[in-house]
Amino acid sequence: MRQIFYLVQKEFRQIFRDFSMVRILFVVPLIQIFILGNAITTDVKNIKIVFQDQDKTPYSREFISRFVHSEYFKIIGFEENYNRLSSYLDSGKASLAIVIPRHFQRDIVLKDKPDIQLLVDGVDGNSAGVSLGYITDIVQKYQERLIESSPDLSLQVKNVRRVETEPRFWFNPNLESKLYIVPGIIALILLIITLFLTSMGIVREKEIGTLEQLMVTPIRSYQLVIGKIIPFSILGMLEIMISMGFVYLIFGIGVKGSLPLLLFESSLFIISTLGLGIFISTISDTQQQALFIAWFFMIFSILLSGFFIPIANMPPVIQHITRLNPLRYYIVILREIYLKGTSFKDLIPETLAMATFGLCLFFAAVMRFRKKLG
Amino acid sequence: MQTDKAVSVSKLSRHFGKFIAVDEISFEVDKGEIFGFLGANGAGKTTAIKMLCGLLKPTSGEATVAGFSINSDTSKIKKNIGYMSQKFSLYDDLTVKENIEFYGGIYGLSREKISDKTDQLISELNLDKMKNSLTRSLPLGWKQRLALSTSLLHDPSIIFLDEPTGGVDPISRRNFWRIIYEIASRGKTVFVTTHYMDEAEYCNRVSIMHKGKIIELGTPTGLKQKYNKTTMQDIFISIIGQN
Repeated sequence: MRQIFYLVQKEFRQIFRDFSMVRILFVVPLIQIFILGNAITTDVKNIKIVFQDQDKTPYSREFISRFVHSEYFKIIGFEENYNRLSSYLDSGKASLAIVIPRHFQRDIVLKDKPDIQLLVDGVDGNSAGVSLGYITDIVQKYQERLIESSPDLSLQVKNVRRVETEPRFWFNPNLESKLYIVPGIIALILLIITLFLTSMGIVREKEIGTLEQLMVTPIRSYQLVIGKIIPFSILGMLEIMISMGFVYLIFGIGVKGSLPLLLFESSLFIISTLGLGIFISTISDTQQQALFIAWFFMIFSILLSGFFIPIANMPPVIQHITRLNPLRYYIVILREIYLKGTSFKDLIPETLAMATFGLCLFFAAVMRFRKKLG
Repeated sequence: MQTDKAVSVSKLSRHFGKFIAVDEISFEVDKGEIFGFLGANGAGKTTAIKMLCGLLKPTSGEATVAGFSINSDTSKIKKNIGYMSQKFSLYDDLTVKENIEFYGGIYGLSREKISDKTDQLISELNLDKMKNSLTRSLPLGWKQRLALSTSLLHDPSIIFLDEPTGGVDPISRRNFWRIIYEIASRGKTVFVTTHYMDEAEYCNRVSIMHKGKIIELGTPTGLKQKYNKTTMQDIFISIIGQN
């Protein structure tokens, strides 16, 4: 027991020996939360749009004006020459071109169906889909107004029979992606800090030779492991509180649910990152190797966590693979507690999965660590 | 096995895959002896010393260190030996005092004992002014003496030194050997590997390892007579040259 105390004391002395660690602990979450929280947005806004109005009638102008007043679109200009429209999309000056055909007004008045042409830059499929949705919405509203103002009663009757949807978005009424992204960033910070510190911390001792020196002392390898994980877990918990503080200060997003529950779930998550860190330390001999391997695991866990890419959009095989990823559960848990205030009862499946994989990973890593040293 | 010997090795081997690093070596070291382990780089010295310290399991053979088997009693061995390797084994980013405190704590010394030992070591090594400086700021020779002293904190009966003076200037090496003599005079066994042949002269007995085998063992004077040479250096070159 006393040996562990000396190990932990030594670890903390090394961590806080110089200011650089403190800087990492505070500056990393500050920058990540501030920049990523603002930058990673799935909101599609300011879609650059170029019009070609071949009709030039009150009807077509009225249609265009609906785009002027929308925050989703930004009209960058009008192009008379149809053949030049594609150059807007090629150069990226616009991501959307709308062509209003000649006789647009005449066709509407004569109850013919005019076709509007949309040219969409489909490179970013997600944004393209979202902008298409906005346009459909605008077109539909425009149509409704046309029908309502029509003197033709039969048309108005048709309108009455239409089914409409009235969505209400719960927990995040304005569908701000910030609310969704920020808890995920906290999870990433925790992953990065604990994973890198643990693996590098152990490999560093290997590199300089102190690990060998420790192994000729009567100290047991389990004591060594505990002496490493206590300080890094404490740092991890400190880091999550710092991150939550920044999230509140910068975005005003507070935890809706129970704080103790959140910390409890976080400690379960840390078990898996520490386990992974210890595992990495057993397969690398230098800090560069450890860094590289930790990076590799980090990218995989982030991409397969549902943080950027919804898991439901992945092929079924990959979806099953994500079940082995503790980060996947932790992000869900954080979002649930943060945004909905979900109680423990409703988080039991995720908690169990996360704890199971975390503990398996942890014990496997510790066994491997002991075998390597013994 | 005999317990009057500090180290007793019998047909000890270690293979790494097909490579035989240590090939059935046998020898004994008396208590209070300074035993030199010579050999070129890659002769198998470090592998042998690691097995004796319980860092590495032997492929075959048996050895006892301080009366305990390296195959079954490594934890007891670890309590009774000190070890200092060619790699620097202190924490560069801890102060001199913190390093002593840490290793004292790891060896299970009581708090009072640690603070006594700290004061004693710091005055012995003339580190009074440096005790709160980071270890990295110490000159290499001092670091090595500090490392040696910390490996003696728990008062082991045998001390293993694996090329302790690598990269150190001649004067520091001489000072270091003074400490080794002092340790031996307290009845401790010193087991030291080196490839400095002048250091071999300081040992009570030396063994010369070549390609995993011990090819010669005796006192420096005895070997000089046997090979009719005046220095260990000449002996070493003629033996290794023959093989």
